[in-house]
Amino acid sequence: MKILAVLFLLAGFFFTAVAAIGVLRFPDFYTRLHASGKGDTLGIALSLIGLAIYEGFSLVSLKLMFIVIFIFLANPIGTHVLARAAFRSGVKPWTKKGE
Amino acid sequence: MNKNADKKTKINGSELLQFIVLTITLFGFWLILSGMMKTKFLIIGFGTSLVTAWFTRSLLRLPSAAGQNEAFLAFHFPYLKYLTYWLWLLGEVVKANIDVVKLVLDPKMPINPQIITFKKPMANPIAHVTLANSITLTPGTVTIDLEDGVYYVHAITDEAARSLVPEEGEGDMPRRVACLFHEQETVARGGEMS
Repeated sequence: MKILAVLFLLAGFFFTAVAAIGVLRFPDFYTRLHASGKGDTLGIALSLIGLAIYEGFSLVSLKLMFIVIFIFLANPIGTHVLARAAFRSGVKPWTKKGE
Repeated sequence: MNKNADKKTKINGSELLQFIVLTITLFGFWLILSGMMKTKFLIIGFGTSLVTAWFTRSLLRLPSAAGQNEAFLAFHFPYLKYLTYWLWLLGEVVKANIDVVKLVLDPKMPINPQIITFKKPMANPIAHVTLANSITLTPGTVTIDLEDGVYYVHAITDEAARSLVPEEGEGDMPRRVACLFHEQETVARGGEMS
């Protein structure tokens, strides 16, 4: 059981780290949102699921699952709000042709 | 909302049922968070849930996105189908996240960012929220704007754009969401913006 928990935690760390690398490597605001908006969601969700498995079935793990659900609902909304604010204030997306 | 508008507005679903479901949900949430089963706390929790459900009832009555005189209740949707949809989406999220990992770690970074638009008129605002959130969660696409049923989506690769707006017909995800909320199957295609 603990091995499974550690595997989940490691997967979560991996996705979060890749999201951070993506934020550094991508060329403009919108593409960076891609990296942070998704890698983070899955990374945090996997880490919390790993912690819930480590804890076993109890009130604490139930609360952790609630946090996962709320992150899954709230993170896309945050990403969308950022993207919309940038779009409306006229940030031009980077394109391959304009290189 | 004033009372005159209330009389004319057609409401989908039962408000009493929504009230009961919301109270039960809030009470269950209270139980999990408090973890105490003494009678005093149960009564306080139930009272709080009732009051909260009562005060939010007008907030949860959502006007139709199609502009008709029609309203939808926030807790009126097929729960079981919604759950299966989220399980399917979870699988998609994991699959597509691996794709983004490959993109990020690829030294050449084969990306081709583009903004695509497509029209998906649906009357229920909850359906729009579900679809927009799903698009953002599936890596490769981020919903930028949504106006009158027109979606502006930023796609990072050609593949991601095509999976949402294929050459012919309709993408898998908009179709599933529409089916979930029993919306009519219509799609008008927008051009590509660059």
